[in-house]
Amino acid sequence: MPELNRLPATRIVSTALDGAVWPENRLVLRTAADELLIIPPVADVSSVTSHDPYAIVVEDASYAGVWLGADEAAAILRRHCEWRVTAQRPQFAQGAIAGIATKLWLEADRVLFVVPAPYAVEFEERIV
Amino acid sequence: MRVIVDQKPIPFAPGDSLLVAMLRAGEHPTEGGCLCLGGDCPNCLATVDGISYVRTCQVAAKPGMVVERHPADGYPLLPDDSRHRAEVHAHNHHCDVVVIGQGESGRAALAEAEAAGKQAIGLDVANGQEAIGIYSGPLVVARTAAGMLHIHAAEVVVATGAAEIQPVVPGSELAGLFTSRAAEQLTAAGLDLGRVVAVGTPPAGIECELASGDLLRFEGEGGRVTAVITQSADGSENRYPCQTAVVGLGLYPRDALTRMGHQLPVRAVGDATREADLPTCPGEGIICPCSGVSVADLERIWEQGFQEMELVKRATLAGTGTCQGGVCTPYLRSFLLAKGKTLQPAFTARPVNRQLTLGEIAAGAHHHPTARTALDGEHRRLGAKMERSGGWWRPWNYGDVWAEYWAVREAVSIMDVSTLGKMIVSGPDVLELLERLYPTKVSTIKNGRSRYVLLLDERGYVFDDGMICKDSDTQYTLTFTSGGSSHAEMWVRDWAESWGLDVRILLQTQRLGAINVTGPLANELLARAGLDNPPPYLGHIEATVAGVPCRIFRLSFTGELSYELHHPVEQSVTLWRGLLELGQELGIRPHGLETLLKLRLEKGHIIVGQDTDMDSTPRRLHHEWAIKLDKEFFIGRQAVLRTNKIPLDKQLVGLEMVGQPAGYAPLEGGVIWHQGNYAGIVTSATYSPALGKTVLLGWLYLQNGELPTEVEIEGKTARRVEVPFYDKEASRARA
Ligand code: FES
Repeated sequence: MPELNRLPATRIVSTALDGAVWPENRLVLRTAADELLIIPPVADVSSVTSHDPYAIVVEDASYAGVWLGADEAAAILRRHCEWRVTAQRPQFAQGAIAGIATKLWLEADRVLFVVPAPYAVEFEERIV
Repeated sequence: MRVIVDQKPIPFAPGDSLLVAMLRAGEHPTEGGCLCLGGDCPNCLATVDGISYVRTCQVAAKPGMVVERHPADGYPLLPDDSRHRAEVHAHNHHCDVVVIGQGESGRAALAEAEAAGKQAIGLDVANGQEAIGIYSGPLVVARTAAGMLHIHAAEVVVATGAAEIQPVVPGSELAGLFTSRAAEQLTAAGLDLGRVVAVGTPPAGIECELASGDLLRFEGEGGRVTAVITQSADGSENRYPCQTAVVGLGLYPRDALTRMGHQLPVRAVGDATREADLPTCPGEGIICPCSGVSVADLERIWEQGFQEMELVKRATLAGTGTCQGGVCTPYLRSFLLAKGKTLQPAFTARPVNRQLTLGEIAAGAHHHPTARTALDGEHRRLGAKMERSGGWWRPWNYGDVWAEYWAVREAVSIMDVSTLGKMIVSGPDVLELLERLYPTKVSTIKNGRSRYVLLLDERGYVFDDGMICKDSDTQYTLTFTSGGSSHAEMWVRDWAESWGLDVRILLQTQRLGAINVTGPLANELLARAGLDNPPPYLGHIEATVAGVPCRIFRLSFTGELSYELHHPVEQSVTLWRGLLELGQELGIRPHGLETLLKLRLEKGHIIVGQDTDMDSTPRRLHHEWAIKLDKEFFIGRQAVLRTNKIPLDKQLVGLEMVGQPAGYAPLEGGVIWHQGNYAGIVTSATYSPALGKTVLLGWLYLQNGELPTEVEIEGKTARRVEVPFYDKEASRARA
């Protein structure tokens, strides 16, 4: 199992996320109705803040992640994921994996596993 | 090819189960009892390769397998700890339909599901897939050679067929008894059963004598059956000498899994839905071989009033053993029917229906993970003893707790406090939200200032504490205890949503590291780190420290001059190492939780969860000063007003031991006595080198309306004193 590394991101909590526009080369994970993670960080968040002056915008490295090939990811999910992962690609999903809150970004040939960085070591130990 | 049975090698033929191999060699896995070869009885259990309660009829014999019989008069020994066992893995499978059993009806159900375009899977014992339980979900758990299979299916079809009724008469514990199907299997495997007498429906294809009349008993010699005794209609007995007795007493549905699936999408097909044949109500004999329940026991509990299936089960434990009612259920039903009750359904079944190893039970289960701060590696590198606290791994000490203590009191020290709950709340309604949540007047906190606050629940009990820090008119930073921050987050979010307030909330505990710089030389250290103008007491500023951008909060839990440096978590190591480097000449050393607990106790600061209880009101905690009852509303206000009218019964107080040697501290949690009566408990205790005495916090009950002034703890005298114990004027923290 490769090591998980911190994922520098921009994290935004706002009521104006729906219409926001982000650069093509960013991964945008909508983790809640009012929250998203943009990996790697972006400098310009005006498409949110212009509509929501109270938006919380922070640089965030509190998550750690690793990309795995589709087969390796599938094997881990078979072992450690009790919920049904959608077959759609690309797709974002989140839930417990090996008992740890995990976010998944699923692409056709690879999957990004993202966990809170304080649990990264235990996650690595559990899915070995 | 041989297997080892009680240290004796015995040969086996290809395709033999362990049981067939043993029978072929003239051995029986237990003392006796009617064998079914179908997994439905408790009569073939043995210890196989160190694992007890294995059904030997369900295990294929392999060369070198070691079989040990269970003791006849007790339980098998627990496995030897030194024996290495591979971890049992769980595998998850998600599908629309799972069909348990792949006989004729099971195959049909599987084909039907597949034809309907559903993702379906079939399980069968014959393929080494043994379903052992159905849980909510539904989740079907099966044991396989590759580990435990957890099948999450929208629908479960049980096609497990029917089992054969076992005989319950005197002598049914003898060896040499088989059900019809078992006899047929053994004959097909080439075993010679000798002279066979059949009772009831005879086995197919086996030459045997059919016993007429009702089965009365089996007779035997040396533990083996020698004759079948029946009774004719006229009352006369018939004796049928034999070497093997075969019983065909009828069938009952193998529906334990169905009965586990109450209120779940679980249905049975085929023989698993059949009506159970009812055997004749026995006059005597063991009805439940697993729990040793006899017909006489049933008569006794019937007289005592236990006259329903579920009550009989609870009164006798029949049906709770290794076969989960497989043998006894038909007889219990016929017993109650014969007593005049209506025919009753079988008991509710509960997982698991097979004996599992601890490894099989634990497969796929995880305990709650313990978080690590970004400085975890630094602590371990410095030789810290790590402890779990509040859901985190934290340094307990770095090897010399008293050196750490004096570094704080006389020089400077740092502590990793990244675990503190930290939240931003922003929005036009933020002040409204906080005024409703907190019992303090939030509106009086100025920009750049902080205040210590309690969080009360609706009953007016304290469930967390922390700080409110005002960032701007529309944004505040809140802090919570390390262990309480998840609950506090839920609390803030739930109320904000319930009240429909326009706020945004971000718990940033894991985004921000936090290092507490504390001690009389803290200012000197920060100056060396580039901060010449630290914030005033209870103020906060943003500045760079040792090259790391920080939000600096001045507050004190240790009783000394202290600053909390909140910073981006990815720069924790840089800041930690920088401070240690810069503080070398100042005598810096890090301190752990053990030291902090002593320091804060000297100051009389409470720890919510350790010094508080489920019913700790601000008044009982002596924290009325933190509650502003002249506010119109805050959560818990009504309850505080109400409970304040009730006479005080107990209070958290400060105590010091009288005349005890240096280093002594009573056990936390110990009892406080007053004149021989229980008077309370110790919540925190430490020896204080700075004060030269032992100080404590504890709950003390009022006696005749007064708090006792002198009490006994561990047989020694303690005196009630005012807190704080150390630096009562707080001149050091505010220096
Ligand atoms: S003989 Fe194995 S369970 Fe009956």
